[in-house]
Amino acid sequence: MPADKGLIFNIQRYSIHDGPGIRTIVFFQGCPLRCPWCSNPESQGAVRPMTWTKNGKTETISYWATVDEILDEIEKDEVFYRTSGGGVTLSGGECLVQYDFAATLLREVKALGINTAIETTGAMPLKAIKKVLPYTDYVMFDLKIMNPILAKRVIGDDVGQVKASFEAALATPTAQVTPRVPLIPGYTTKPENLQQIADYVHEVGIHEIHILPFHQYGSQKYEYLKRNYTMKYTPLLTPTEVDNIHQFFTDQKITAIVSGLE
Amino acid sequence: MTTTMSTRPAFETARPTSKLEVMKQNLFKQKRQISLERAKLYTASYQQTVGQPTIIRRAKATAYIMDHVEISIRPEELLCGNRTVRPRSGILSPEMDPYWIMQEIDTIGTRPQDQFEFTTADRQYYRENLLPYWSGQSMKDFINAKITPEVKAAEDDLVIKLNQTDKGQGHIIMDFPAILQRGVGTYVTTLTAKQAAHPDNDFYTAALIVFKAMQRHFDRYATLAQTMAADESLPTYRRIELTEMAAMNHRLTTAKPQSFYEALQLLWMTSIVGQYESNASSLSLGRMDQYLYPFYQASQQAGVPADFTWEVLGDFYLKTDDVVLLRSAESAKCFAGFPTGYTVALGGLDKYGQYAVNELSNKMLDLYQEIQLPQPNLSVRINEQIPRRFLNKTCETIRLGTGIPMLFNDEVCVPGFLSKGVSLDDARDYAVVGCVETTIPGKTYGLHDIALFNLMRIMELAMQDLRDEPAVTYDQLRQHILDKIDDYVKIVTAGSDIVDLGHREFAPIPFLSSLVADCIDNGQDVTAGGARYNFSGVQGIGEPNLADSLYAVKKLVFENHEMSFKALVDQLNADFAGDNGEKLRQHLIHDFDKYGNDNAELDMECAKIFRHYALELGKYKNIRGGEFNAGAYTVSAHIPLGEDVGATPDGRHAHDQLADGGLSPMVGRDHLGPTAVLKSVSKIDNTLAVNGSLLNVKFSPNTLKGDNGIRKFADFLMAFTQLKIRHVQFNVQSRETLIDAQQHPENYAGLVVRVAGYSAFFVDLNKRIQDDIIRRAEHVL
Ligand code: SF4
Repeated sequence: MPADKGLIFNIQRYSIHDGPGIRTIVFFQGCPLRCPWCSNPESQGAVRPMTWTKNGKTETISYWATVDEILDEIEKDEVFYRTSGGGVTLSGGECLVQYDFAATLLREVKALGINTAIETTGAMPLKAIKKVLPYTDYVMFDLKIMNPILAKRVIGDDVGQVKASFEAALATPTAQVTPRVPLIPGYTTKPENLQQIADYVHEVGIHEIHILPFHQYGSQKYEYLKRNYTMKYTPLLTPTEVDNIHQFFTDQKITAIVSGLE
Repeated sequence: MTTTMSTRPAFETARPTSKLEVMKQNLFKQKRQISLERAKLYTASYQQTVGQPTIIRRAKATAYIMDHVEISIRPEELLCGNRTVRPRSGILSPEMDPYWIMQEIDTIGTRPQDQFEFTTADRQYYRENLLPYWSGQSMKDFINAKITPEVKAAEDDLVIKLNQTDKGQGHIIMDFPAILQRGVGTYVTTLTAKQAAHPDNDFYTAALIVFKAMQRHFDRYATLAQTMAADESLPTYRRIELTEMAAMNHRLTTAKPQSFYEALQLLWMTSIVGQYESNASSLSLGRMDQYLYPFYQASQQAGVPADFTWEVLGDFYLKTDDVVLLRSAESAKCFAGFPTGYTVALGGLDKYGQYAVNELSNKMLDLYQEIQLPQPNLSVRINEQIPRRFLNKTCETIRLGTGIPMLFNDEVCVPGFLSKGVSLDDARDYAVVGCVETTIPGKTYGLHDIALFNLMRIMELAMQDLRDEPAVTYDQLRQHILDKIDDYVKIVTAGSDIVDLGHREFAPIPFLSSLVADCIDNGQDVTAGGARYNFSGVQGIGEPNLADSLYAVKKLVFENHEMSFKALVDQLNADFAGDNGEKLRQHLIHDFDKYGNDNAELDMECAKIFRHYALELGKYKNIRGGEFNAGAYTVSAHIPLGEDVGATPDGRHAHDQLADGGLSPMVGRDHLGPTAVLKSVSKIDNTLAVNGSLLNVKFSPNTLKGDNGIRKFADFLMAFTQLKIRHVQFNVQSRETLIDAQQHPENYAGLVVRVAGYSAFFVDLNKRIQDDIIRRAEHVL
């Protein structure tokens, strides 16, 4: 792994539905988890260049880039960040897998006076998030499966690690933290899981979360990767189901904001 | 003299809760029809004035129309002035061009775009009387006789297209603030004195004839209103309204308006007289929120109820939808869906350089939200100082999805005018004329829509020229394109001057000229050069396709050496025939970057060519001593002008459309979202497009949802402002909505969409334009 480069698989401009203002999202290759609903399956696994086959053509979809190269891309929309209070979001995969590179990139972006954010599951040793937090204005932190045994078995997650990372973020005064719960039928939306999330959120003194209804936007990618997508036929949540979950949190005195793609 | 009474069902005695709704419905009840009334009256007058100077004959004909045209006050109307009794009638002006209608006389009722009923009797009258009278002595005849072989050749090469050879020039904003401050009487007095001092100046005589006719026209309405008010079968409220209208219209024959109501009445009547005189597209309205505000305030202080003010302004809005323009099939392809051009610019700068917004600016957007018809075509002038509240209201209005208002950037338009010798005060006072052209209101005869210049076609011809050049280089190709641009620029300016001269000789407009500075001082018509500013605007078309094509040729042939230049030209000439051709086409589309994706190398190529074109054009002076200005917009001409161009190296098939709008990326070729599009467009020095430019951006409604959506949209527009892009307009429609509208037009009679530079009813557009709108990249996230 080149020390001064990061492995990126996409840079997406004009993101307006997550985080403040108009943002550019830098997608980092690599994720230690294996969520069955993952909409960026190309990012899963180790940090290594990934290929897929699209319309009969094999393409390498991730590439090594230096901080400067990424800054060149980021700078293209600088005027939009300035007028909107937006900025740059690191996403993935799990951007904390390449935490050294992520920290350098965030530091450089922040030095330009541009808002910085990360989207993370916290599925890394505590030192990873600690490295980036000083340069991060906004943390979108995913809370998925809270039962440690289930989490380990279903997505390979270590709930203890997640909680430690989350609490480290909360303890950082310069970072604003929003817990986000992807609503995945059959997984995260089980009543026990929702209750555990509510309890945990209360425990750490938070009263507002974002809920992100399940979507199928990633299903095509499984075909490009020639992988089986187990949730291909899982129907989307109905508006009533989303309302019910919303109501559940309201009853628990938690404001749940429905967000994400529509 | 004939008049028509408003008819009203006997049971309806109470004032309707929504007068506007009643008036709006009446506007669309009947099919559009051609009315020969103006043509007949104009001709009758001409037959009586043989041997007199043209400008006098024109004035007398306009006066004759105003004295004899059938007039009407429709149910619930508060403002007088209907061009035709039947709403939305098409008006012919055979004195300009009697021929085009003959070619279409039997198809105009069924043609794909903008049909009009033409009754059998009228068709016969036209054939037997009007055509023979005007044949050989119309403006078109004059222009055709003057067209040089060079200009003809350039037209035949499909590089240039001259406009306004068959109708009035239009694209003028009269000095409405002046006439509102002075009243008609002052003009009559001034012109009488001028005429006495310069008895041999025909302009003064002619102008006076029309102004006096305007006074009589006001009085005809006063009499009609009075007669109608006496009708005891009408409900009391209506009889009171009519009595008041009678008094007001009589008063306005001389007096200056005192109230908002009177100001709107005079404004509309002035506009209608201009239409009788010119029968032209785009006698635009200028900065209504600025010049009407003192009247609005006066009425407020006088205690006029707000809902009455609302109704009068609403009546004014509806009247602008009553006037439609009858165009030839070819012209209707380029300007589909009746863009009559009652364009209004809201906001902007005052003479102190401060942002100019007032309560009326806001009210005008509110009223639009209620009425939602294509005219008046509202635009908002944006600059770095725009207050958020007004910007938010602008964004909310855009979110309705009708493409109104469009946005003009003061940070670009003002310096653009300064670079052309316009004073700072005047530059800050610019307004929008036509679709997306900018002008200095009340001071300009700008021929903003005089010609189209097909840059993509020039590249095609340049490639043909070099096909057999064995060692051709990229620089050689580029240089050859630039040289050809120079050659054709010379020709297009010559051609434009011929049309300019045609209007001077055949179509002086003394009334309108009196409302353009400094014609009265100079004693000259605008067509003779009497205006303060005298531009001619030529639209460069196809820049995005040219940029994509040049870039693809550069990479494919000259850098990657994948094929020879000659082989590429042959593939283009064969329109990518066969499997290999199609493979090449796909390669060209997918493997080479395109304009709209923020690729500096490519975008700058586009920028350099446009700059070259604009500067070259700026070297020429027109016959009125003014400069030629470059534009970069197509309105909907990207479809017919695309028909003129063979296959191109951007992977476009022969005769397919060019990029829409003017500066928008080619359909479907931008894939990085709207920020990248704006960045690409910003590479082109928009300040050089003094005559006008056009950028379409399509958003899905989701993008603009909620307060957050509005906030981010407003932020996006502030970035647009800083990026110094001259114009942008938005289409906010989901694809599904549009497809459904195409399949079930009956359900979508009221669906207004942005075509380009103006909004039209979606169902009024032909299938190809509908398809184009549906296809344009939708920026969803
Ligand atoms: S954490 Fe995110 S990227 Fe990783 S597998 Fe789960 S959904 Fe995919």
